[in-house]
Amino acid sequence: MLRVKGTGKSLLITMLLVCLTLTACGGGSGGKAADQGGKQTIRFATWDSEDNLTLQQELIDQFNETHTDIQVSLEAYGSDYDTKITAGMGAKDAPDVMYMWNYPTYKDALEPLDSYIEQEGGSFKDNFYETLWNYNSADGQILGLPVGYTTHVVYYNKDLFDAAGVPYPQDGWTWADLQEAAKKLSDKAENISGFAFSGKPDPYDFEMFLWGNGASYIDDQGNLEGNLNSPKSIEVLTMFQNMLKEGYAITTEGSGATEMKSGKVAMFTNGAWSIASLREAGINFGVVELPKFKDGSAVSVVSSSGISMSKESSKKDAAWEFIKFWTSEEANKARIDYELPVLKTVVESEQLQNDDMKRVFYHMLEMSEKYTPASFKVDNWSEISENLQLAFEQIFNPSTLMDPKTVLDDAAQ
Amino acid sequence: MEQAAKRFKRSRRLGKWTPYLFISPWIVGILLFTVGPLIFSLIMSFFNWPVTSKPKFIGLDNYSKMFTDDPQFYKSLWITLKFAVFYVPLSLGISLILALLITQHVKGVKIFRTIFYLPAVVSGVAVSIIWGWIFNTKYGILNYALSLLGIEGPKWLVDPNSAIISIVIASAWGVGTMMLIFYTNIKGISPDLYESAAIDGAGPFRQFRSITLPLITPTLFFNLITSTISALQQLTLVLLLTNGGPLKSTYFYGLFVYNNAFKHHKLGYASANAWFMFIIILLLTALIFRSSSVWVFYENEVKNKPARGGKGK
Repeated sequence: MLRVKGTGKSLLITMLLVCLTLTACGGGSGGKAADQGGKQTIRFATWDSEDNLTLQQELIDQFNETHTDIQVSLEAYGSDYDTKITAGMGAKDAPDVMYMWNYPTYKDALEPLDSYIEQEGGSFKDNFYETLWNYNSADGQILGLPVGYTTHVVYYNKDLFDAAGVPYPQDGWTWADLQEAAKKLSDKAENISGFAFSGKPDPYDFEMFLWGNGASYIDDQGNLEGNLNSPKSIEVLTMFQNMLKEGYAITTEGSGATEMKSGKVAMFTNGAWSIASLREAGINFGVVELPKFKDGSAVSVVSSSGISMSKESSKKDAAWEFIKFWTSEEANKARIDYELPVLKTVVESEQLQNDDMKRVFYHMLEMSEKYTPASFKVDNWSEISENLQLAFEQIFNPSTLMDPKTVLDDAAQ
Repeated sequence: MEQAAKRFKRSRRLGKWTPYLFISPWIVGILLFTVGPLIFSLIMSFFNWPVTSKPKFIGLDNYSKMFTDDPQFYKSLWITLKFAVFYVPLSLGISLILALLITQHVKGVKIFRTIFYLPAVVSGVAVSIIWGWIFNTKYGILNYALSLLGIEGPKWLVDPNSAIISIVIASAWGVGTMMLIFYTNIKGISPDLYESAAIDGAGPFRQFRSITLPLITPTLFFNLITSTISALQQLTLVLLLTNGGPLKSTYFYGLFVYNNAFKHHKLGYASANAWFMFIIILLLTALIFRSSSVWVFYENEVKNKPARGGKGK
C-alpha cells in the first residue's frame, strides 16, 4: 500500500495542485495558438469517412486556395462524432464549424444563424427546401444551414418481383398493397421474405409511420399519454407486428439493407444511403414512395445534415464565410454522388426531378413539410428515445412479441 | 562513487528527494491522467453538469436519485454482477487449463502458445465484430456448427436469455494475458518437485493438485482480482456487440454510465454512477484480500517458519 509521510505528502499535494492548475490553463490557451501567417485558422469537424471524406478534403483545399485570409483544417471524427463533439463542447474547445443533425441536444452550444442569413438577402434562404429549415432549428432559431438530407422510401428488388409475377409498386400505394405483395413474394423454401424492417428501429425514424396514420409520439405540450398509446398509434404497431406473425416479413438487426443485399428480401424501407451499396452488390432494384395508411398519407421523417457554428468560436465571420461556401451551389454539385442537393437551383439545373430514383426522395420531402419529430419538441428526447426503443423491441423481438397496447400504455407512463 | 555518496549525505534534503525524482515521470503521469480526472469526476458528481450549459451545484442529489429514482441503476448493477459471477470463474478456469496445456513438452507447442495468446492482441472492436458474425442466428458459424450436430442453436444475440451468455463466451475468448501470467508462474516451478513426486508415484492429476495448484495461488489471487475488476468494468463488448440489447438484457453498468454521460449528457450523474462502482470494486477487492490469508500460499512464508510436522516424509 502507498504510504507517504511528512515532506513527501506536501510534495505530492503541491504537485497535484500544480497539475490541476496546468490542466485548467491548458483548456483556455488552445484556441489562439493555431493562427499562422496572418491567416485565420478554422477547425471544421465532420462525421464522414472514406471516399466522402476525401471529397470533403478536396473541397476544403479548393476553399483554402481561393481564400488568402482563411485556412480551414478538417477534423474527421468518424463514428465517434457525438462523443467527441460532446467532449469538445464540455471542454470549451469545440470546433468552429461542425456538421450537425441533433440540434435540440446541442442547441446551447450553437450560434443562432438567423441574422447571418438575413444579411444575405431573401433569395439566399428561399433557395433551400422549406421542409429542411424545421430540421435545422431549435426553439425557433435557425442553428444550421442544410447540407444534405434524405427522406425514407421503399426499396424493392425487381428480380424477385418479376420471378413472383407481381407488378412493381406504384406511388400512392397503401400498406394493404404492400402486405399483399409481400405475401406473394415470400417463399419459405427459398428463404425469401417479402418485407424486412428493423427489430429495434430508431424511434426518430419510426415516428413517420405514426404520422402516416395521423398519430405521433407526443403532442405540442409534450404529453406521451394519449398520443403514444392512442388507438391510431397502437394500430400502426399492431400492423407491423402482424406482418411478423403472419410470416411474410422479418425483423433485422440493422435497417434491412444487409438482407436486401443478399437478395433474400423483396422490400425494405430506408433513406438514400442504400442506393450506392445496393448497386455495388448488383441488386436490380427500384424505389417507390412509402405506402399510405387507409385514411392517412405517405409521410417521411427527414434525416438531415446541416452545418453549424460554435457559439464559443472567436472567428465567427470567417466561419460564416466557410459555411456559405459549404452550402453553395458549387459544393452541392460536388457532393451530388453522396448527398441529395438541398438547393432548388441545383435540383433544377441537374434535372433531378427527372431522375428515376432521386425524384422519389424529393417528392417525399415535399409531402412531409408540416411534421416535426418529437425530438424537436422535448428536452429529454434521448431518454424518451431509449424507452421507446425498448418498447419497440418488446413488440418486435421474436421471443417476446408483446401486445402493443400493453407495451405502449406502459411506455406512455 | 563513494565521494558522490558522501556529497548526497551532506545535502540531506536532496537525498530525500532523490527517489521521488526517479519516479517523477510516473508520478506526473498518474497525477495528470488518473488522479486529476478522478478528483475532478468526484467534484462533478455533486453537480448537475450538462455538456452545453453551465454546471449547477446540487449536493448529493445525483446519489439520492441513483438509489431512489432510477430503476435502471439496479437493473444494470444486477446484470453486471451476474456477468461477473459467470465470467470470473470461467476465465480463470480456461486460462489455467490453457496455461497447463502450453507448458507441456510437445512438438509445436510454441505455435499453440502464439495461437492461444493471439486473441489478447486483437483490439476489442475487431473482437466484437467477429463475434457479431459468429453469433448471427441465421448465418452465424456457431449455429451452423451446432446444426451439424443436430442441435438448433439459440438466437444468441436476439434472445434476451442467451445474450448475456454470448457476452460471457466472447469475453472468455480474450483470456490470453491471464494465461500468460499463469504460464510464467508454472514454468518457474522447480522441476525437482515434479521429479520427486513422480518417483513417489504421483500421477499428473495428483501433481497438479499438490504441487502446481498450491504454488500458483499467488498468481491465482492476482488474476482473480484483475478479472473481477475488468468484469465489473466491461464496456467495449456490450457497446459494440449488443449496445445493451436485446431488451436491455445486456445493459451493463459500464454502458449505463457511458450512456448517461455521452448520450443523455448528464456528466454529473454519470460521475456519481462511476464513483459508486469504484466503491463496489474497492470493497470487493478488500474482501478478496481478506480471504487471501486462508487460501493463498506464499513459499517464502513456509521457508522462514519452522517446518510443521514431519518434513522428511
